[in-house]
Amino acid sequence: MPSQANALVLCGYGLNCDHETAYALRLAGARAARVHINALIGGQVKLDEFQILVFVGGFSWGDDHGAGVVQAVRLKTHVGEQLLAFVKRGHLIMGICNGFQTLVNLGLLPGFDGDYQDRKLALIYNDSGNFRDDWVHLKVNTASPCVFTRGLEQVEYPVRHGEGKFYADAASIERLVAGNQIALQYARADGRCADQTFPYNPNGSVKDIAGICDPTGRIFGLMPHPEAYNHWTNHPQWTRRKQQQKRQGISMTEKMTPGTRIFKNAVEFIETAM
Amino acid sequence: MPHRLEITLKPELKDAEGEAIRKKARDYFGLEIESIRTVHVLTIDADLTDTQLEAMRSRIFTNPVTQLSSLQSLPLEFDWCIWVGFRAGVRDNPGATAVEAVQDLLNITLKPGEAVYTSKRYCIRGRDLNHAAIDRIAGELLANDIIQQWRIFSAAQWDAARGIGYIIPKVMLDHTPTVTTVAIDSEATLQAISDQRNLALNPNDIPTIRNYFIDPKTRELRAAVGLGDPTDVELEYISQARSDHCNHNTFRGRFHYVDQDTGEEEVIDNLFKTCIEAPTLKLKAEKPWVISVLWDNAGVGKIDDEHYYVITGETHNSPSNMEAYGGAITGIVGVYRDPLGTGMGAKLVMGGYGYCVGPRDYDGPLQPRLHPRRLLDGVIEGVRDGGNKSGIPTTFGQILFHPDYLGKCLVFVTALGVMPARVDNAPAELKTTTAGDLVIMCGGRVGKDGIHGVTASSEVFSENTPAGHVQIGDPYTQKKMHDFILEARDQGLLQFVTDNGGGGLSSSVGESALFSNGCEVELEKVPLKYDGLDQWEIWISESQERMTVAVKPENLDRFMRLSHKHAVQSTVIGRYTDTGKLHIKYDGQTCAYVDMNLLKSGFPQWQFDAHWQSPARRALTEPVTGEPSDYNAILKQILAEPNICSKEWVVRQYDHEVQGTSVIKPLVGAERDMNSDAAVIRPILEKQNGLAFAQALLPQYSAIDAYHMTTCTIDEAVRRLIAVGAPLENIGGVDNFCWPNIQYDAVKNPDGRFKAAQLVRSCRALKTLCLDYEIPLLSGKDSMYVDGHLPGPFGETHKVSALGTLQFSTSAAIEDVDYCVSMDVKCAGDLVYVLGTTYNELGGSQYYETLGYVGLNVPEVRAGQFKILYRALSRAIQNELVASAHGIYRGGLGIHLAMVAMGGGLGVHVDLTKVPAEGTARDDTLLFSESAGRFIVTIAPQDKDVFEKLFAGLPAACVGEVIPKPQFCIDSRSGQPLVDLALEEMKAAWKAPFGDLV
Repeated sequence: MPSQANALVLCGYGLNCDHETAYALRLAGARAARVHINALIGGQVKLDEFQILVFVGGFSWGDDHGAGVVQAVRLKTHVGEQLLAFVKRGHLIMGICNGFQTLVNLGLLPGFDGDYQDRKLALIYNDSGNFRDDWVHLKVNTASPCVFTRGLEQVEYPVRHGEGKFYADAASIERLVAGNQIALQYARADGRCADQTFPYNPNGSVKDIAGICDPTGRIFGLMPHPEAYNHWTNHPQWTRRKQQQKRQGISMTEKMTPGTRIFKNAVEFIETAM
Repeated sequence: MPHRLEITLKPELKDAEGEAIRKKARDYFGLEIESIRTVHVLTIDADLTDTQLEAMRSRIFTNPVTQLSSLQSLPLEFDWCIWVGFRAGVRDNPGATAVEAVQDLLNITLKPGEAVYTSKRYCIRGRDLNHAAIDRIAGELLANDIIQQWRIFSAAQWDAARGIGYIIPKVMLDHTPTVTTVAIDSEATLQAISDQRNLALNPNDIPTIRNYFIDPKTRELRAAVGLGDPTDVELEYISQARSDHCNHNTFRGRFHYVDQDTGEEEVIDNLFKTCIEAPTLKLKAEKPWVISVLWDNAGVGKIDDEHYYVITGETHNSPSNMEAYGGAITGIVGVYRDPLGTGMGAKLVMGGYGYCVGPRDYDGPLQPRLHPRRLLDGVIEGVRDGGNKSGIPTTFGQILFHPDYLGKCLVFVTALGVMPARVDNAPAELKTTTAGDLVIMCGGRVGKDGIHGVTASSEVFSENTPAGHVQIGDPYTQKKMHDFILEARDQGLLQFVTDNGGGGLSSSVGESALFSNGCEVELEKVPLKYDGLDQWEIWISESQERMTVAVKPENLDRFMRLSHKHAVQSTVIGRYTDTGKLHIKYDGQTCAYVDMNLLKSGFPQWQFDAHWQSPARRALTEPVTGEPSDYNAILKQILAEPNICSKEWVVRQYDHEVQGTSVIKPLVGAERDMNSDAAVIRPILEKQNGLAFAQALLPQYSAIDAYHMTTCTIDEAVRRLIAVGAPLENIGGVDNFCWPNIQYDAVKNPDGRFKAAQLVRSCRALKTLCLDYEIPLLSGKDSMYVDGHLPGPFGETHKVSALGTLQFSTSAAIEDVDYCVSMDVKCAGDLVYVLGTTYNELGGSQYYETLGYVGLNVPEVRAGQFKILYRALSRAIQNELVASAHGIYRGGLGIHLAMVAMGGGLGVHVDLTKVPAEGTARDDTLLFSESAGRFIVTIAPQDKDVFEKLFAGLPAACVGEVIPKPQFCIDSRSGQPLVDLALEEMKAAWKAPFGDLV
């Protein structure tokens, strides 16, 4: 039975992960609608019909003036109040890659002291100076209030970005640590933190930060792409795992991927709340 | 009065862009920059108040966490400052998005002619840098003078109050659009005008054109619309349509082929019809999965009853050779419009690339316009931005270095899309225009872009002359249009859709009007980038990111509302008719009025002499060599060859898994760093169906015989798909020919007849092998004239012609992605098999190239035998008996055994005695021969019997096993250890050449 969780996935203006994000949400049991930014701004689609809002990956406005910058300005100018009301209602917001960049530019993250409007963080050019597509190991902070990462300890997702280096001043970083707002960190295969080592930390992020949430845990932004791990064959080692399991007499069966799990957590949270 | 905003990173933050420049200056030129900081400049040529300027500065263009900005010059210290900006008329993508953002934030609309221009200035510190060094950094690293301008300031010259000043690269033509009539009193006059105007009319076409316009009946009908002699609009239209690029006159030519060995002569009337069209039509009739071929922008094959896939490939050689980044981004973004304009429109799902360039470390006497290293960097980055910003995974590609591409590089780009089988309850692959439908242009505006291609480059630049002949693709604008077109398709609003590429409106409207048999276009309605374009320029401009669409008048409102929602500009520019006439007006005056069928009638065929001499007659022989004594060393040497070694740095820059469909990635294995045989995606997220895609390039074999170059290239592209689990019967092909000029000229092209014979043989091989393997050609293109004239050290020039090159792309639907296989060995104890026979075929091989030879014994494709083996392997994969499969390609068995071992992070122990072979008794031949039709496969030991039964009677043998120790061990035919290398050492060698590039 389809859940009552309604998810709005933004699209248009150069965003490009809308289809697979909506698909992952549906796998997780949500109803997911791809909605053009202009349909939200024009009022043809109303935010108050949804409980999950996802800012997806892509290159909004070509990312020409800083990733996610123009998207954030346009949304703040036209639907800023609606976004704040959505947060106040206790709903969920997720930003993936370009969406994460947009969340920090909107000021929806980090959300210190209930402030959801000021820019305090930034995602800047990778230390390598180039775009990079690779899978990374991620360590989940189990003490984090983050709704989306509940029950997860270590996951692998792909990163695909040129501007993903997390940066903030020392005081903000300290607050993020103290509040367990750092939900995901780049790690090595054995679970140890990447400790700034390339390519485990693919962009030079301070504290190996890959994803953070607001103090309530209901707003979550991350650079890696969980929606690109929606099928077991998305994993770079699936052909190897299949053979290893064959030798152990296990056949690979379809089960929920750790990518879809993130979305399932969101859906379960909404269902419980309702 | 213009304004200027400068933005830079806070000093405590690393400037990654500056750092990359510092590294390149050191690596490329040996210049030591101490520090370099980038300042982004927005020059705002608009009437804005101080409050408005401050709002845009603080709210859009400055990140308070990381950036500093000012409406004055930022006080950064430097020894030298280089400012780099675009020339007038060059597409400034960030400038355009800046305008969007400013208008949205301030709720204003900029006035006509107002704009925002982006540029950069680099603040450089370096004690030892002089003006010449800085000029070199500017001209050879930061800017390309055909699209950019730069200024250099020393610290002493710098006036902080003035800064860089206000440089406004605005196009100002100051020209009234004029239609010119062309006199045709004689053929000589028409020829002279063609030469003057760069029309490039073929002399043989001139009588046909003239006869049409002097025909009394034509003149009478023309008089009725106010026309007499042909107009420039008409002649430009004919010239575009008759160009080799649009009409493929070379491939449709008549070849007089002489085999100079045997004296046999043959006339081949139309290579396209005999070697491409005929076999494809035959195979289409036999294969229900082939849905649509040979007429549309791309070919269409079936995934299942509900979904089709679309594929085509293009090249963008000449523009990339001039401006690598701009040429390549325009190429990839351009080819992505082809599937979008196929049938009722396909969603783009995957892209591929192939680059052929001169050696990256070339230091010889020739002076190409761009050094191969710089050219390659630009091409890589162009495809990166074009692909990534389009949201389309770039899943497969290859880079080939060879000095013959110094004259002109090759940039292949391939696009795959997916469409529903039916749209609005009608077959999605079909489309037509009907009289009464509206002609609508969607997407970007029209400027002087691409007009007469590179001929414009010889014009003298002034500050305000558009440098638009070199284009910069705009994936952002196109992505918006892509999303819009697909939604319009799904709402049933389209009658016809096609892209604007070569020839612009002239081609897209001209070709779509063939269906309704006529059109009437009002050129003044076409939205322009700037005033002052002549009518003919509007008609043939190749400004990018545009589609031409036919819409029923009753659907216009819905169509335009949807266009508005997607922030895409759409304009009705005319209507389709059934008058049999292409009728173009400007402000009510007719400026073109020609028969729709003019282009189909009576133009003479191009003629070519083709003289073949066999390799033996050309005195090619096998070299006389003895076997190496140090196989470890030669193996490592070949692994480090530029055409074999790791190019991970390129693959990682390309988003190859956006859309969430990735199954077999371009890099696979335990450490995710080995090249996979092919890419596989799961294009419909809800389904298990796969779509496999691969490409091959083996131009080195053309040095011996282009016939075998062709068969081996196709065979490799086929094996690549077989190896990942695609069945042979589902494979379709795309042929992209790139050939030097084949028209003989005693002085300018003395070996033209030989090059023509190579082309004939290549086409014959294509036909023969496609029929043998039953591969329909879903799409294909040709790009001729891959020649360059390069200056040498004394001011003399040298003609450099490329090898006859075919890039062959293969695609296939796969029923269930869960059965796909990757190339890396999986488990210790697994058995290693070599499938297929190794012959004494080192001619043109990497081994010979490394030793400095070409040789004679080029590999041959024995299609009849190979097919049986391929089917057996497909069955084994479908029965899940195969743990890893990998084709043996360039470099031979030794190199590719190394690849599968490195991929698995496990050793292998192989006995050469057991390798199926014929006609050879040497270990080096066994290890390095590039015989076609072979694979390396590993299986679990328990599957041995079932597996071997499938290959009974075929050349397939267990040659060794996978071992837990990470050691690569090969025993010679005499039982001695021949190769004994640690995997780590091999991988280090393989990664050494480009391993430190990011």
